[in-house]
This record gives sequence, structure tokens and C-alpha cells, in this order.
Amino acid sequence: MTMTDVNVDELLAPMPDKVKKNRRKHIVKKDLSAGSCQQIEANTRTVPGIITQRGCCYAGCKGVVVGPIKDMLTITHGPIGCAYYSWGTRRNKARVDDRTPPEEIYTTMCFSTDMQESDIVFGGEKKLAKMIDEVVEIFHPRAINLCATCPIGLIGDDLGAVAKAAEKRHGIPVIHYNCEGYKGVSQSAGHHIANNQIMERIIGTGTEKVDGKYVLNILGEYNIGGDAWENERLLEEIGYTIGSTLTGDSAYVNIRNMHKAHLNLVQCHRSINYIAEMMETKYGTPWLKVNFIGIDATIDTLREIARCFGDEELIARTELVIERELAAVTPEIERYQKILKGRTAFVFVGGSRSHHYQFLLRNLGMEVMVAGYEFAHRDDYEGREVIPTIKSDADSKNIPELHLEPEPGIYRPPHLHLKMSKEKYDELVASGVLNDYKGMYPDMVNGGIMIDDANHFETEELVEIFKPDLIFTGIKDKYVTHKMGLPSKQMHSYDYSGPYTCFKGAVTFAKDVAHSLSTPAWKMITAPWEQSKTEQR
Amino acid sequence: MTGCKVTSRVRQVNENQCHMCMPLGGVIALRGVEHSVALVHGSQGCSTYMRLANVEHFNEPIDIASSSLNEKQAIFGGEANLRIALDNVIRVYRPKVIGILTSCLAETMGDDVERFVETYRTDREIGEIEIISVSTPSYGGTHTEGFWATTRAVIAHYARPAERHGGINVIVPNISPADIREIKRLLDLMGLEYTLLPDYSLTLDRPFGGRYQKIAPGGTPTAAIARMSGARATIQFGLTCPDTLSPGLFLEERFGVPLINLPLPIGLDGTDLFVGTLKDLSGQPVPDSLMLERGWLCDAMADTHKINAAARPVIYGEPELVYALAKLCLENGSVPAVIAGGTRNSGLAALLQPLLKDALEEPIVLEEADFVTIEDAAVRTSANLAVGHSGGKYLTERQGIPGLRVGYPIHDRVGGQRILSVGYAGTLALLDRFTNTLLEAKYSSYRRQRKEELLNEKGVSDAKA
Repeated sequence: MTMTDVNVDELLAPMPDKVKKNRRKHIVKKDLSAGSCQQIEANTRTVPGIITQRGCCYAGCKGVVVGPIKDMLTITHGPIGCAYYSWGTRRNKARVDDRTPPEEIYTTMCFSTDMQESDIVFGGEKKLAKMIDEVVEIFHPRAINLCATCPIGLIGDDLGAVAKAAEKRHGIPVIHYNCEGYKGVSQSAGHHIANNQIMERIIGTGTEKVDGKYVLNILGEYNIGGDAWENERLLEEIGYTIGSTLTGDSAYVNIRNMHKAHLNLVQCHRSINYIAEMMETKYGTPWLKVNFIGIDATIDTLREIARCFGDEELIARTELVIERELAAVTPEIERYQKILKGRTAFVFVGGSRSHHYQFLLRNLGMEVMVAGYEFAHRDDYEGREVIPTIKSDADSKNIPELHLEPEPGIYRPPHLHLKMSKEKYDELVASGVLNDYKGMYPDMVNGGIMIDDANHFETEELVEIFKPDLIFTGIKDKYVTHKMGLPSKQMHSYDYSGPYTCFKGAVTFAKDVAHSLSTPAWKMITAPWEQSKTEQR
Repeated sequence: MTGCKVTSRVRQVNENQCHMCMPLGGVIALRGVEHSVALVHGSQGCSTYMRLANVEHFNEPIDIASSSLNEKQAIFGGEANLRIALDNVIRVYRPKVIGILTSCLAETMGDDVERFVETYRTDREIGEIEIISVSTPSYGGTHTEGFWATTRAVIAHYARPAERHGGINVIVPNISPADIREIKRLLDLMGLEYTLLPDYSLTLDRPFGGRYQKIAPGGTPTAAIARMSGARATIQFGLTCPDTLSPGLFLEERFGVPLINLPLPIGLDGTDLFVGTLKDLSGQPVPDSLMLERGWLCDAMADTHKINAAARPVIYGEPELVYALAKLCLENGSVPAVIAGGTRNSGLAALLQPLLKDALEEPIVLEEADFVTIEDAAVRTSANLAVGHSGGKYLTERQGIPGLRVGYPIHDRVGGQRILSVGYAGTLALLDRFTNTLLEAKYSSYRRQRKEELLNEKGVSDAKA
């Protein structure tokens, strides 16, 4: 079957009519002849019972955004399950640096109030308060996060009040997140809640001087398998200073000073665009959507960053670094291209990564036929130009929006951040470089499928239709595809590999993918004496 | 020595936990029922997280449905969502059994799932499909209790007065699929007709081959479960199972099926108890092949006991396994330094008392423990081997205590589903790993250690560098 022949209705055939009607809207085929992207439904409620890959609000807040901040002690307030499940599962690597000694790093630990039945009945505020006292006594953390789980909102524990009282007792920030699992429709709600609190309570509270001619923050970089370190290595060599990442290998002490940066880079659009926008409003910090996944994508990104500052020396240095890195990896990449050329894949990961990995796979000679997200919004697929047309529903209205004003005395117009004239800045914005994201659609292959909140059933059907060579996805569906005789690569944690960013990361990735596709065992699945039977089938 | 010192939790903070939530155990138990699908009534994060935890351990597809409760349902109740979820699961998966496990959210909301299911059944024509609901809020117990509660609920759902038959029931706790297969092999060797529940030996360890089926083949057939009430006896490996959750006790009290509660067949005594019971029940002699296996185990113990006697293991995890492992260690002369479980109400400490009364050293027994407490105890007692699931990796990373992975969950090694530790052969496989882990640690450090000791004696310790 060619890609353009896919019949979405046939794909959904076994589902009840109502579900079919719902799911059809989440599936869009790339059609070059149609001009613009057909509207995709996203960030709406999952149909119960169809086995979605989505997680919950708590997962987005604690598991994704807040958990990786290395020097904050994060307490999960609730019964034991949620804390356990979000314990070190995403391989957000963190290391000691000159501002954060080993004893201040808590990311490998798991703290829970382990609520029992009596706490549910009589309330858990006292237990939580006592626990905060204990962890302060034992660890003396710089700051504490409190994350709520489902029962908290229902039993009415006032996390804000507990946090406030604890701040008074201990003199350190205690930041609470009302990220009960049932809020919103996916992890996305949790990202937003975390973004709001980080913006309100942490960013801008630092008063230290941040040295560096060009200071960058990297937002939405979670340092899976060391990705952020590879980005930093390149950027620092070119002459940039990294203020802070959000939130891979990040520290409270650095996040505080993020408002001192000249430019925010946004890697994962979905989980962190709120902070990028809010910082633009409050401090005038411009933001640039970047992509360090893929060789050409990294080159484009590095050139765009340099262009934003317009410094000739920086531009020259950028070219030098690109040339050197490229020379080092090209022979390796060519070697793997021989194995990978012409292969096809599906990608289901992240809040920009299903888009980003298409660049890297194309560098390797592969094409992505189906791509999707669990928790994206329409703008992640169709581009930010659709934002004004997105209707706000009851689920998103429940997540508070912060309405910020320019901060007096600190706000500087964006062009001053970039040390350029207003005219030149406006030109950059108009050309679509700054403060914008075009979404995944423009980079999809013609006839390819974008699918939102794909469920187990649909993935299996799509595999039957497209017969891809490889699937890039999370661990939940990894073994389903294995059982179908199809290798899969775990992209949430990279199957213990990484980093995959920039030039060297591309080689590591190519090597991993080539291993998957060239392992002889896959061809030996059918016993020799069964071979002829299979051929007949 | 007078026995053991028991410490329960005194701190509020649970730092690096040793237990997981109740529905997680329920999900595993349901996998042991033929053609079943688990549906967690709660926010979708619960089912997603449980899939994650189980997939990482079993390396198998784990489909768990969710009723995907949002804020609206949290306020107005989750019945409508549960009904839609049931409709869709039935339509897409075509299961014969659906097990509904409740989450903290559903229980705190006060959803009356039993009633929802009753109404659903009367409204919908779902024919033969059985729907079993189990109350499993995370605050009500750990995954261990969830496993027992679900197994009991499955039996209770099918149990009617049945005609007496010559078969027996075998009820297993949360053990590996490989262990279940070994127990079944022993039962077959002894020529007994039996129903083993929950039998996830195939569903959670699917061999490769054939067309992928959404519901894994295998599991205890429901027709067999319905006949459990007429069995001659129930063998249950559930010494630590609380009476209120005990599936075997339920069958005894309701249907007069005598309950033989045994420790897991790990170690000589543990396996002898099981094999001896099977011998009595079947009236058959123990076959020579099995006696050979026993002989090999005895031989190995004779050969390795001196090495093993140097072990001061810290044993942690689910109480049933912890008890059996402690027994095995003591048989070998390895006196546990720390014996710890994350659950309470398992009666582990009381069970251990008679075993430990003649021990040469006094172990620390911890209930409701987290890993910080366990680590602290392990350091104080100079433990030199960590035996248990992957949660104890910090004992190795931070304290350098070598680890031996056994139990559930194992997220940092492959093959959790294949770890074999029951029966004579299984014990031997485990014991060799135990001994070799000790030897590996010894060979990697003993020269250095000896050198340091010798130099110290001569008073030239500064020559160490």
C-alpha cells in the first residue's frame, strides 16, 4: 500500500461510531496539493478505555518539568504510587558543578508522604508539614517543591497554606503545585502549572550578576542521556554563556537568574513555551525555537542564534565550529547511511521531538511516515499561527493563566537584549525567526500521517498498513512492536544511550539505529524448518 | 541469641520507598486470568504509570485500560466514563473478563463501582463477559495487598458450590513467570490435577512467534477457577497474606476446601514442605528425577556453605519472598543482617522469630521500611550482600554493597520475568548467583584488603598509597 492510499475509516473500523467520529479528527494526512494544514484535533479529552499512551497532570508537572531541578527537594504529597512511578524514570542527568555540590542534588531520591487511609479521612496537611520539617532538618535544601496527587484536591488539603507556613518556619522557598492527576486532559496541564509556578516563584528572584557577552537559556531541554551537555559544549565553544536550562541538569540557584539572559532558546515547544512567552512579556527576553536534533537542523539552529546577535565574529566562529564538527562526524554518518538509507519509521515522542527527529532521520536517509504526540496542542502540529483560533474548553480553563505585565525597572525591549536596532529586530521577527514556531506539518513527508494521542490499537493497525522498519516510541508500546517482529527504540529514555543532540549525538543515534536494524536475530525468528510455510502465507 | 529486633517506621518522610501501590499488584494478578483485560478506574496517569512499571520489569506489552477521569468527573462522579471505557474495551479487545481496579481518585470520590457494574450489566447485552471489580486504593495497602485482594476477588466472583473433584488449588503470590512454570512442572511431576491461580506464566512472558494478539494467550481458564470451590485442598504460598485478603482462607471458610498454607518453595526446607505435601496429596512416591535435583542442591550447599557463611545479606522486598529468602540464607549459614519489607500487616516479624532464635547473629527486622532506613541498618550491621529488587540499587551505588536481583520490580537489569528461584533446581540457580556475587566481590578486592591489613599490622599504613 502506498502512503496516499491509507483509508482512515478502515483503520478505525472496529471502534464504535462515536469513537470513530472523535478519533478521525485527530488524524491528518499531509497533502501537498491542499496548501495549508487541515485542522487537527488535539489537547482534548481522551476517549475512556481505548488505551491511550497519555499520562496525567502530575506526570507532566513533577515527572517532566519540576523533578529534574537538581537542587530542589521535591515531595510528592499523596499515597505511595505516584511518587514511585515518577522516580528517576526519564534519565534526566544531573551533575555537580561549581554552584551545586553533591550533597545538594536530590534528583535520584524519591520523597513521598505515603498517605494512609486515616490521612485521606482526616486530611494530610499535618503530616506534610511535619515531613517538610524532617527533610529540612536532614537535608537543609535550598528550596522545596510540593506536588499534589489526585486525592489532595478532593480531600481539600491546602498545599498553598502548608507551603507558606513552612516558608515562614524555615526561611526557604517552599513552592507548591496543584497538579492533581485528574486536571486537564494529559501531561500538558501539568507542564502549564509547573511553568506558572517557576515563573512566579523562581525566575527573577535572583540578584547575582551573570557574566557573559551572550547569555542564553535553553528552555525545554531535559538532558535525557546528556543531551543538554552536548548542546552546551558547542554553544560555549562558539562563545555563548548558558544561563540555565529548563529543566535538565538545572539548579534553583541558576533558574533564579534566568531573567538576566539575552535570548531564550526553546527546544521542547509544548512543555515550556509558556515561560518563553511570559518572559518575553515580563522581561522583554526574545525567544528562538531551536532544534539540536539532526545535523542540518543543528547547523541551521547555530546559524540562527548567531544571526540573532548579528555579531560578525560570532558568525565566523559559528562557521568554524560547524566545519570542524561536520568533518569529524561525516565519515561515520556516511557509514551508517549505507545501512539505513531508504528505511522508514514512526515517531511518537515528546512535545517537539516527533518533529525534531524527522530531521535527524532524514540525515540518515530514512523517512518518517507516521508521527504524533501524546499531549501536544494544535500549534505543535499546525504552527503558532493557529493559536488565536483555538477554542478554550472547560479543561484548559481550569488551568490558571498568568497575566503578566512588563516588570518595572527590569524590563528591556527585546531588541536591546539582542543589542540591535529596533528595525533590525522587527525584521527578524517578520522573517519568522524569532518568537515563532511553524509546527510539525511543514516538515512531514507528503502522504505521511500526523496522529494525535494515538492509542495502542491504532498504532498496531498503522504498523500493519505501513510496515515500517523501526518505531521510535516510549517503553509502553516498545514491546508490542517487538512482538510484531519490528525493532523499536525507546525515545523517552533512549534505551540507556545518548546523548543524541548536535553532531556527535547524531552519530550515537545512527549507531543505535543501525544496531537495531542490522541485528541478525530479527531475521532468525522463523525456524529453518518453518521457513517455507511462512513464504507461502 | 534471643531473636530479632523489630523496628517499625517512626519518621513521617518516606525517602526512597520499598513498596508500590495497590492496583499495580492487581494488574499482575489479573494477567493470570485467561482472556482478561485490566481497567483502572481513575485518572489516566495511573494506568499509564502502571504499564510503565510492569513493562520495564516484564519487557512485555502491558495493555491497561483507563476510565480517564478528568476534573469534571472528579466532582460529579465517574460512572459515565467507566461505562464508555467498558464499551470501548469490549469492542476493541473482545475480552472474556474485565477486571476493574479502583485508584485513589475513584475511592476518594466515593464511586460505587459495584453498583455501576450492576447497572451496566442490566443495560447492556454483554453476554458471557464477566466484570470483576476490586477496591485497590493506594492508601489502602501496597502492591502486595493489591495482588492478594485481586486474586481473592477473582475467586469470589466465580465461586459457587461446586461438585467435589480430585484436583487441588494452587495459589501463588507475586512471583516470576519462570517460578510459576517451575511450580507447574513440579505439580505435573507428582501427577496431580490442579488449578493454579493466577497463572501469568505465559501472558507476562510471551514467547516470540505467530501473529501478535492484543490479549496474550495463557492464563488460568475461568471454567477452572469456577471449579476451585470443589477442590480437595488448596495449597497457598501465603504465610504473610493477611486473613482478610487470603484467597485460600476464603475457599476454606465458604466452601470447606482445606487450606494448606506453605512458604514459597525456595530452599531445601521450603521445597521439601511443598514436595512432601504433593506426595501426601497424590499418594505417589517422589520421582527419581526430582530426588536427583534435590541431591544436586544438597551437593551445592555442601560445597558452597563456607563461602556463603561469610555473607551478611540485607534481604528486602515483598514479605512472602523475603521470608522464603531468609529461610534459604539461614539454611546455608548466612545469617541475614537486615530483613526488611515495605508493607505492614504481613506478620513477617512474628514469622521470622522461630527461625532466628538460634541464629548466631541478631538481624534487624524492619517493617514498613523505606530504603533510607534499610540502608542505615545495612551499614550499621556491615551487610555485604543486597538481595532483592531494583529499588535497592542505592545500597550498591552509595554503599558498595554488591547486589543480587530477585523479586519485583527489576528495572535496572533484564530478565525479571525469567528469574528462577523456586524448587530444588530453581533454588540452586539462585544460590549459585548468590555465591558467585560474593566471590566476585571477594576477587575484586581481597588482595587490596589483605595488603592494607598486613601493612597496618606492621605500622606502615602510610605506605598504602
